[in-house]
Amino acid sequence: MAKVTMIEAINRAHAWEMAHDSTVVVLGEDVGLNGGVFRATAGLQEQFGKDRVQDTPLAEGMIAGMAIGMATQGLRPVAEIQFMGFIYPALDQIGNHMARMRNRTRGRLTCPLVLRMPHGGGIHAPEHHSESLEALLAHHAGLRVVCPSSPARAYGLLLAAIRDPDPVIFLEPARLYRLVKQEINDDGQALPLDVCYRLREGSDVTLVTWGAMVTETLRAADKLESEGVSCEVLDLATLSPIDHDTILESVVKTGRLVVVHEAPRNCGIGAEIAATVAERALYDLHAPIKRVTGYDTIIPLSRLEHDYIPNTARITDAVRATLAE
Amino acid sequence: MTIFNLPDLGEGLAEAEIVRWHVNVGDRIAVDQPMLAVETAKAVVEVPAPFSGVVKALHGQPGDVIATGAPLIEFEGMLPTARPGGTAAASTAQAIAPTAPRTANSHGTSAPSRASAADAGTVVGNVPTSEEELIETAYAGRHAAGTPAAHGRHGANSANQPGATNLNAVNGAAPHSANGRLRAAPAARALAKKLSIDLTRLAGTGRGGVIVVDDVIAHANIARSPSEQTPAFTGGEKLRGLRRAMAQSMALARDNVTNCSIYDDADLHHWREGQDFTTRLLRAIAAGCQAEPALNAWFDGATQSRRLLPHVHIGMAVDTSEGLIVPVIRNVDSRSPTELRQEIDRLKHAARDRTVTPDDLRHVSIMLSNFGMIAGRYATPVVVPPTVAILGSGRLSRDVIAVEDRIEAHLRMPLSLTFDHRCVTGGEAARFLAAVLRDLEKDT
Repeated sequence: MAKVTMIEAINRAHAWEMAHDSTVVVLGEDVGLNGGVFRATAGLQEQFGKDRVQDTPLAEGMIAGMAIGMATQGLRPVAEIQFMGFIYPALDQIGNHMARMRNRTRGRLTCPLVLRMPHGGGIHAPEHHSESLEALLAHHAGLRVVCPSSPARAYGLLLAAIRDPDPVIFLEPARLYRLVKQEINDDGQALPLDVCYRLREGSDVTLVTWGAMVTETLRAADKLESEGVSCEVLDLATLSPIDHDTILESVVKTGRLVVVHEAPRNCGIGAEIAATVAERALYDLHAPIKRVTGYDTIIPLSRLEHDYIPNTARITDAVRATLAE
Repeated sequence: MTIFNLPDLGEGLAEAEIVRWHVNVGDRIAVDQPMLAVETAKAVVEVPAPFSGVVKALHGQPGDVIATGAPLIEFEGMLPTARPGGTAAASTAQAIAPTAPRTANSHGTSAPSRASAADAGTVVGNVPTSEEELIETAYAGRHAAGTPAAHGRHGANSANQPGATNLNAVNGAAPHSANGRLRAAPAARALAKKLSIDLTRLAGTGRGGVIVVDDVIAHANIARSPSEQTPAFTGGEKLRGLRRAMAQSMALARDNVTNCSIYDDADLHHWREGQDFTTRLLRAIAAGCQAEPALNAWFDGATQSRRLLPHVHIGMAVDTSEGLIVPVIRNVDSRSPTELRQEIDRLKHAARDRTVTPDDLRHVSIMLSNFGMIAGRYATPVVVPPTVAILGSGRLSRDVIAVEDRIEAHLRMPLSLTFDHRCVTGGEAARFLAAVLRDLEKDT
């Protein structure tokens, strides 16, 4: 057992899996010699060698394309995109090949790879370093999108992602990288993909969220508890495919739903959750569904980013609105 | 003297090469004034002065490589603590508790040394840290199937295990959800709330037992168009003609009129031989209307207006095989008994022959129901709008009455007067009835 931050948990998951599966390789910008700009892959190149931990040129399309090639030929690459905002050059490879290799070849070639990247803002970074683009990737068939919210889930879900036989986009909330420490067992145990994690049990309202917003949402739940409102908090964890069953079971119990995400509102994953709940549990709802989201603008630079990112007050306001119906 | 060290220039880089100094020893420089240009692995950047002061010494020459955090320039005297120079990263280089990840390192060497600079753990921006420990329990998947997934323990495919929770409720088969909450359409909920109806008292008729808007309306007995009401039985005959008209006019009467009835008996003891009962009744009603015109009137509830009618046109209820018909005997107040009798006969024949014209049915000002010819003494006749009064005469009978202190048997006619209490007072009705009795009890 050890108390680790999320970045350390990610580092240990890499190390464990690379030690037990010789087909796992790492590639990306600055991941080898420098250990990654956030130190996620620190020490791996020393431990496992330059053949297994490779520094690439500054070329995201190449990183994705190389990972696809490696994966179809028997390796299990864990490739890093340095910031989610840099993913656009890689979308051609992701959408046209990574997501459809199994489909196109009728299963003869598959892509058991992980494409991991920092996700979201709140770290006072320059332009292009604070994006939350999960909806773009979730919309594309053939991709699994995962986003942990704690060191333990980062460790377990990354192991599950590496072991998964199909592509996984692994989004790591940058402002949670070093925020807290958590005790984990570095024992190679994976956590299940494709399910929500219930972090808090409640009976008055269901809050669904993921990534860094889990922190604000739990804080909002504490505040509401002191006002006598019992909140159930679900960490979506796997953003695609969505575990609708757990969400529906919770909404049937509480009758109210609030979805919280940092990504912009328009066509965000919150809309998909809201539509499905409206389709399948409309008669159990006591109030309209509410979404608390980033605004439909480019995420601003550091001085304004905390006006953009939903805060505890916006979440508690939304919950109170559902109770006022 | 105050030494200013080379700050972290924001790319997490360990060192920079001096390209060119812009100031000399002895220069007095102002805060933010560019002091020198340095080249990092990425770019040539200017380093601004952190405060105003006099340059005492330069710690390097063009071409020298200075490590981040190593002395760069010295100022005279003790100056305020250096403002964070250059980029935001510089200030946070001190704020961040470095957590160099420990790795099992077979070569015994650590990650490239950052010397005296704190490892910010990022090349850009500021990743927040704290000493807080996260303690949580997370349950994977659905309630019944979920197992704690904390501490990296395996959640065991919980998503694939059949949960005890009844998801049929979700898919629309159960009227109540698992926790007993009612399932109701949102519109039904809103309507029930508006009408203060308790949803738990409703049975849902929607798919799967869901409470729908119609259920709420049915429970509230809101009036809706007859075609939409649920029939009490099937296979009956649809009413036509007179029966249908009666059903409609009686429903209209019920919904609008405030019926109130007074009963009395006319003592016909003094009648001469050969009186025509019907014409005597008609004449008596006319006498009553003359005494109390308020009962010979039309009333409109919608406009709350009343019209006193100048003539007495008595609608006489006639029973036919088809149903009830009410032909009108016009101008009773100004016709002779013979004329009245002729008119009565004409209308009765017309009724039997079904030749009653619409004109015969119009402009009734007050009604008479002579049911006593068949049976019955007293009744509660129904006032049909727009009239405001109806007199019912019952079966003649020889009654035992007290006359002073004698017992006598007199022929009497029971009378039932119903009036619309919205526009006729009890006094008016009683006076009307008194006048009717006075006229009826005359010998001729």
